[in-house]
Amino acid sequence: MSDPSKLKEVKRVSRKDMLFCLARVPNSGRIFFGSSDYNVYDVDLANEKPNDTLKELTGHNSYVLGAALAGENLVTGGYDRNLIWWNAEKHEQIRTVKQAHKRLIRAVVASPDGKRIASVADDMVCRIWNNDDSKLIHELRGHKEQTPHDYPSMLYACTFSADGKLLATGDKVGHVVIWNVENGKEVTSFESPENYTWDPKARRHSIGGIRSLQFSPDGKLLAVGGMGHVGNIDHLGGKSLVQVYDWKSGERKNQYQHEKRKGLVETLRFHHDSKWLLAAGGDNGGFLLFMDLNSNKYIREEDAKMHIHEFALNEESDTIYAVGHNNMAVWEMKG
Amino acid sequence: MSTKRSMKYCGSAEHTTLSRRSFLGTTAALAGGMSGIAGLSNPAIADTIRKNDKRVIMLWLAGGASQLETFDPKPGRPTGGPYMPIPTSVPGVHISELMPKMAERLHKYTAVVRSLNTKDGGHGGGADLMMHGRKNEPNLKYPDIGAMLAHELGQADSEVPDYVAIYSQTEGRSNGGLGPGFLGARYAPIILNEKMELPFVKRLESITELDHRERADLQKLMSQRFLKGRESNSVASHGTAYDRVSGLMASDKLFDISQEPQKVRDRYGPSMFAQQALIARRLVEAGVPFVRVARAWWDSHGQNFETHSELVPELDHVMSTLLDDLEERGLLENTLVITTAEFGRTPKINASLGRDHFASAWSSTLSGCGVVPGAVYGETDEDGNTVKDGEVGAGEFFATVFEALGIKHDHELYVGARPIPLVNPGIKPIKEILA
Repeated sequence: MSDPSKLKEVKRVSRKDMLFCLARVPNSGRIFFGSSDYNVYDVDLANEKPNDTLKELTGHNSYVLGAALAGENLVTGGYDRNLIWWNAEKHEQIRTVKQAHKRLIRAVVASPDGKRIASVADDMVCRIWNNDDSKLIHELRGHKEQTPHDYPSMLYACTFSADGKLLATGDKVGHVVIWNVENGKEVTSFESPENYTWDPKARRHSIGGIRSLQFSPDGKLLAVGGMGHVGNIDHLGGKSLVQVYDWKSGERKNQYQHEKRKGLVETLRFHHDSKWLLAAGGDNGGFLLFMDLNSNKYIREEDAKMHIHEFALNEESDTIYAVGHNNMAVWEMKG
Repeated sequence: MSTKRSMKYCGSAEHTTLSRRSFLGTTAALAGGMSGIAGLSNPAIADTIRKNDKRVIMLWLAGGASQLETFDPKPGRPTGGPYMPIPTSVPGVHISELMPKMAERLHKYTAVVRSLNTKDGGHGGGADLMMHGRKNEPNLKYPDIGAMLAHELGQADSEVPDYVAIYSQTEGRSNGGLGPGFLGARYAPIILNEKMELPFVKRLESITELDHRERADLQKLMSQRFLKGRESNSVASHGTAYDRVSGLMASDKLFDISQEPQKVRDRYGPSMFAQQALIARRLVEAGVPFVRVARAWWDSHGQNFETHSELVPELDHVMSTLLDDLEERGLLENTLVITTAEFGRTPKINASLGRDHFASAWSSTLSGCGVVPGAVYGETDEDGNTVKDGEVGAGEFFATVFEALGIKHDHELYVGARPIPLVNPGIKPIKEILA
């Protein structure tokens, strides 16, 4: 049984690179993570000496931003615009979809049944792929390529619902689209403009964007993560921001804007029974923030000692595996 | 012989043609009027001819653009960031994939300096240095580069502004300490921030155009009569001042890009930076010697790659469009486009995925007049932390600018009887990139 009040860090591994994404092997402490050194790594964080288990998967030509496990396959994508299918056990490339997107790939996720892979990129398209043969199934186009101020927009986040029937995507200016995975049609959309800061006067560019999305386990709610209004856009100086929507109506049910925790909410995960919602991210530092949906309050917060780019929860929701800037770490909260 | 530029330029298409013709023709007329080769063999005259009609546009990337995401990529290194290098039209030379248009044009227009070590990583100090080429002395305020070039390239009787500085964003606007220093107010910039129009020169609405013209004619007639039989510099200067104000009033349309054909405006695009670059082109075409267009604010301590994915493609478009336009109009041969900032950005990427201030090893470019297109000078180490070869400072960069414009870098200005060279003694230009 998980208990956020018992949260404690149990492992930390320092690294020289930046770790942007992870995919956790079910029922284990083993993760695959994507790095700024263009590689993907397989590491067992349950091992006493994780570095002894480290294996390198080479194939990308730039930062690796997305990793998803689907059955025996690992699928990764990055700034090189390529998607690579790997055999997760043999660490061998199965196939590469070169130029899977016209611009930088920001995230890769797998459907819960492992049959579908979704990727989002700065070409503002979400593509759904068949995991078995890497064939393109749908192109989802519902995000504008330009911001209202004529600069290129970015499509940062996507997530499947627990039943795999829905997919949500969120972009830089705060536009969220819910898609029907089966037919590739838009179900609905709504706006979360608080995540986008355009500075028209002092610096004349923008910052922010929706960086994380997560459906509640029952599929009724969608959590949206990013950063609130930023005064000085030179820095990640906005308050960390989480909003929870009834996605069908577009009504915002909860909002968590932390007064002291600055920076981007990079990942969101619900407790498997929706007892809480966990957000992680950061600026030059990092945070873990537990939120209670009933009271609309934070119930626990923790300095992460790194800007967390992505984390995973185990099946019992009592262990957190996180990767970020120059670090990976494990926290436990066993009641 | 006349070295006078086109006067009372109204900004119309007709005058654009006349102005361009005048611009292109002056050097030839000068040479012809000076017995051709004989005139050129005289160093003083040759210098006059060489620098005649030269113009400068400075694209000032305020806040500090990243050299790694522009002209000095480090792919595959821990410092390199995510963007790929792309080949340019110069064999073996790569720049960031964010600059595909400049990559196509590098061989035609641009020399890259990759080895600036300017040592001052503060916005104020760095901007001051890169606008003046040296630090002020306690009792001597140096003119900035715009004022020096207005002094060297401007004409005493010019009726268009000599130095225009555009800076619309508010962040960092006061950095750089723009001003004429010891050269005096005559060479001060006309600074445009909010509105792209000359301040305080609009004709009062209560005075008709005809009335205004007749008043000017009457003033001129009376001045000329008064001047008859008198030899007075101050009276003559008084008349020149009236002419200058009159010229500035007439040149107000230079700042109005609606005077340009829609096709040209579309080519530059809708961004504020692009529109101001178009104004700069109109100004140099009309004979303004120095125009600085600032694009703020590049200070990407957080989310460097997002910031540069917005700002570098804009720079790529604006810079390439401006250079194409200048070339097609026959202006680039005599116009130097400087692209620089107060410093670059750290190779090290911080936890906010930002890059911080960095003056130890960064890049700037010179395009057009007087430089070897496609030349790449200097080299940084594999991670971009230090200059490996060809280290230069702000002084050498400035000396190169002067020489590219046909101005001796050791040419002296005077404060009273004290000679002050354009750059500090001992500083040399980068000969390798000078045509």
